[in-house]
Amino acid sequence: MATYQEFIQQNEDRDGVRFSWNLWPSSRLEATRLVAPVSCLFTPLKERPDLPPVQYEPVLCSRANCKAVLNPLCQVDFRAKIWACNFCFQRNPFPPSYAGISEVNQPAELMPQFSTIEYIVQRGPPAPLIFLYVVDTCLEEEDLQALKESLQMSLSLLPPNALVGLITFGRMVQVHELSCEGIAKSYVFRGTKDLSAKQIQEMLGLMKPAAAGNQGRPAAPQDAAASCRFLQPVHRVDMNLTDLLGELQRDPWPVPQGKRPLRSTGVALTVAVGLLEGTFPNTGARVMLFIGGPPTQGPGMVVGDELKTPIRSWHDIQKDNARHLKKATKYYEALANRSAVNGHNIDIYACALDQTGLLEMKCLSNLTGGHIVMGDSFNTSLFKQTFQRVFSKDYNGDFRMAFGGVLEVKTSRELKVCGTIGPCVSLNSKGSCVSENEMGIGGTSQWKVCSLTPSTTLGIYFEVVNQHNAPVPQGGRGAVQFVTQYQHSNTQKRIRVTTIARNWADAQSQIQHIESSFDQEAAAVLMARLGVFRAESEEGPDVLRWLDRQLIRLCQKFGQFNKDDPSSFKLSESLSLYPQFMFHLRRSPFLQVFNNSPDESSYYRHHFVRQDLTQSLIMIQPILYSYSFHGPPEPVLLDSSSILPDRILLMDTFFQLVIYHGETIAQWRKAGYQEMAEYENFKQLLQAPLDDAQEILQTRFPMPRYIDTEHGGSQARFLLSKVNPSQTHNNLYAWGQETGAPILTDDVSLQVFMDHLKKLAVSSSA
Amino acid sequence: MDSNMDDMYMKPGNQERGWNDPPQFSYGLQMARGPQRNLLNKRAAPPASDWYPGAGAPPPFSPSPNPLSPPRCGVAPPPLHTAPPPPGCMATPPPPSGPIRSQKEAESSQPESEPDVQAVVLVLKRALAACRRTVRDQVCNDVEKRLRLLEDGWRSGRLSLPVRRRMDALAQELQACHWDTADEIHRSLMVDHVTEVSQWMVGVKRLISETRNLSPELLEPLHYPAEPVQDPTEPDQDPTEPDQDHTEPDQDPAEPVQDPVSPS
Repeated sequence: MATYQEFIQQNEDRDGVRFSWNLWPSSRLEATRLVAPVSCLFTPLKERPDLPPVQYEPVLCSRANCKAVLNPLCQVDFRAKIWACNFCFQRNPFPPSYAGISEVNQPAELMPQFSTIEYIVQRGPPAPLIFLYVVDTCLEEEDLQALKESLQMSLSLLPPNALVGLITFGRMVQVHELSCEGIAKSYVFRGTKDLSAKQIQEMLGLMKPAAAGNQGRPAAPQDAAASCRFLQPVHRVDMNLTDLLGELQRDPWPVPQGKRPLRSTGVALTVAVGLLEGTFPNTGARVMLFIGGPPTQGPGMVVGDELKTPIRSWHDIQKDNARHLKKATKYYEALANRSAVNGHNIDIYACALDQTGLLEMKCLSNLTGGHIVMGDSFNTSLFKQTFQRVFSKDYNGDFRMAFGGVLEVKTSRELKVCGTIGPCVSLNSKGSCVSENEMGIGGTSQWKVCSLTPSTTLGIYFEVVNQHNAPVPQGGRGAVQFVTQYQHSNTQKRIRVTTIARNWADAQSQIQHIESSFDQEAAAVLMARLGVFRAESEEGPDVLRWLDRQLIRLCQKFGQFNKDDPSSFKLSESLSLYPQFMFHLRRSPFLQVFNNSPDESSYYRHHFVRQDLTQSLIMIQPILYSYSFHGPPEPVLLDSSSILPDRILLMDTFFQLVIYHGETIAQWRKAGYQEMAEYENFKQLLQAPLDDAQEILQTRFPMPRYIDTEHGGSQARFLLSKVNPSQTHNNLYAWGQETGAPILTDDVSLQVFMDHLKKLAVSSSA
Repeated sequence: MDSNMDDMYMKPGNQERGWNDPPQFSYGLQMARGPQRNLLNKRAAPPASDWYPGAGAPPPFSPSPNPLSPPRCGVAPPPLHTAPPPPGCMATPPPPSGPIRSQKEAESSQPESEPDVQAVVLVLKRALAACRRTVRDQVCNDVEKRLRLLEDGWRSGRLSLPVRRRMDALAQELQACHWDTADEIHRSLMVDHVTEVSQWMVGVKRLISETRNLSPELLEPLHYPAEPVQDPTEPDQDPTEPDQDHTEPDQDPAEPVQDPVSPS
């Protein structure tokens, strides 16, 4: 029999699913007692090179409120040509095209290896990809130049038939008409006045005269193509657009001493959203916003133009002293929701040394599935390469991006869905499988994910329906079906269907089985997402207390101990790493705002709630590898005791890659031993972590910062702030003993944390 | 495009503008990335053997000097190479394409001859001439304008050697009707050398996409051995138009290079 680890890995590879529990407790009460909810991380478009899509429509259950897709878990009567839905038990006749099926001639969707299957379906005309660049021109000359070049470069990466548009803004907002006639023409909007969608469409001449009075009704698509001089196929306008971009100048309005430039980001975005709303509703489109500073005027303003008034800090926010915060956030949320309704996503590329207002604007990307990239300057490799990777392609030569995703979750009747946490909005579809109890974005069984990549991952939370006195009967299986409809980057409409099942188990008699089915990595990430979701609306300390309480309860439930005897406490292997993950999560920038600006916190959280399990776990507890002469590189504890003089360490925190040379290694390097032929092995040792780091650098999105440092180097702080401070200036008694590197901190170490945890878990009064 | 070492390099990030800016990978290097190798995603088991049964012993500590002892004068050297090298020094094997070199190294180690501007421009102009039969004048004129920028840039020495080499390769692929390869080279130039090429490359790009659609008969002149082309619809009477004078076959290495008049 396969181990749970193999089972878990196989499920992730095949279906893109990781459940916190792989056996499900048979009643609601027992589920609650397990502390970590029955939940999963789901990667809807996980890359599956081995899965060719089928070219027909899925077969749906005929019950109007079910409509589940035929799948390998359905009972099939091949003689009568009837299948029973495994969600509602409805018996459905097969459609006529399935007349030839038999036990030996089964369609793909009935075979067990197709628990995940993808259909190419015919729905409406193929839609082009749309890219609308919204470019801040209040940049330094060097930055503007670099950005212009990156944009010109991107025209070579886009497919020739993609539509492109250009809006530039500073004090004014300019919508550029793109023609191949070589006459530059643009529409100018004032940056101070909010405009309704209708006003924008009228001013841009996007409305039919007859429809002009028809509030909120977008122009018909056939008009769109004709009227949309603002969005044109790349292959028609690339030469003119290249020149137009090349000729872009910095915002010409003078910026007086002591002032910030006037930047009308809010109006520019309104115009972008309104333009797409009027021309291509319900078609995938990507608004790409490039900013070099905060919005300083008009609706959506984040800070005034007086330089002497700094942009809000966490301190200001806690003191309720951030003047524009609420208004601006509300403004961008409304825009984000409008954009999501239309299926358009918004990316933010913010490059500046100071904050740019990501805290207020984050919803634009978080609700629409857009990217946020944060850098210091557009003239950096970090920005340039990250931007290039937005257009990266898969093994088929298709873009790694999909649009207009709608994810629907169906459950068998013993389960209900409580909500999701990820880059999506609710579609308010209240079906029978929707729980009253909301976790994350709840109250619905359908969510819209306007933009998806193969790594976009949602956390999905469930609850068990059955009451304690009427548990789910033994021997049965619960099932969940994920149906993702989306627009493929090759313009096809596709539906991917994943159907999974897990056994029910009685939590009284089979608790050990349930315990061994625990996926501690998935559970840690799913709990962390709940924590980060709470942190958006609750005070930091409250979130930490909540997390601690959950951890203590979990240890009480599954630990083996004698009451009031901390030293007797033991956890089984399936939970052994979980407390450690929670320890590092508590210290992470996702829950701690100290030393981070509000923009940075928003940025880190943005990435945390969308990455897949592996990347999320790296963010929670960074990876540390050690390179030495004593053997091949090995993972070592993220602990100050791992910092040794004769080692090189490679740490990956997702956002940073740190290579740290121990004291002796650094001295050898300084002495130049790597240049001598007889020390070739030292040269190789120095090279090994560089090569491994390169591998990570070549795949990570966004590009991480890259730090090459050594013992005593000022940048060593990136490593020192992440490792568990097992040796500090407070407990340095071990003279003459191997100690690693002491950390100057008053932070609690993992050992102290664990001691407290054990004490609380075994306490009879807790 | 064969994975020429020229196109596989890494250069340092811009430390002046971004703290800890990561290195920049060339387009070729990015594309050559094979399936993901060993991920560094393992974690060491926690040492607390009293925490759960079956946990490994504490990680072995090798004897090494106490970091708190006073600094020694002089350090013992690293172990000599005569000792057997550590088994598998790297967690992942080196990339199949061989070691990655710095850009400078890659550029300086190419002993090949200088690509010929005339040959490159000749191919492009022939392609343009072939397009003139079917493609709108305005587009052709626009492309021509950009080819002139390319030629001027090249002749006045503003194009770096890697750009000249890759343009030479691009012209050869275009001549051989390998549209996808030519397009790929154009893309690699835009990604790796955008500052140098952005002004005119879009014309080359358009030329590739237009010639791709031409019927085989129209493309025939493209395959002729290099000889001067007489542009049928010479649009504006540019006095510095260089190709008028080049009646020599382009193989002639002694061909004097036009004086850079760069009317940009």
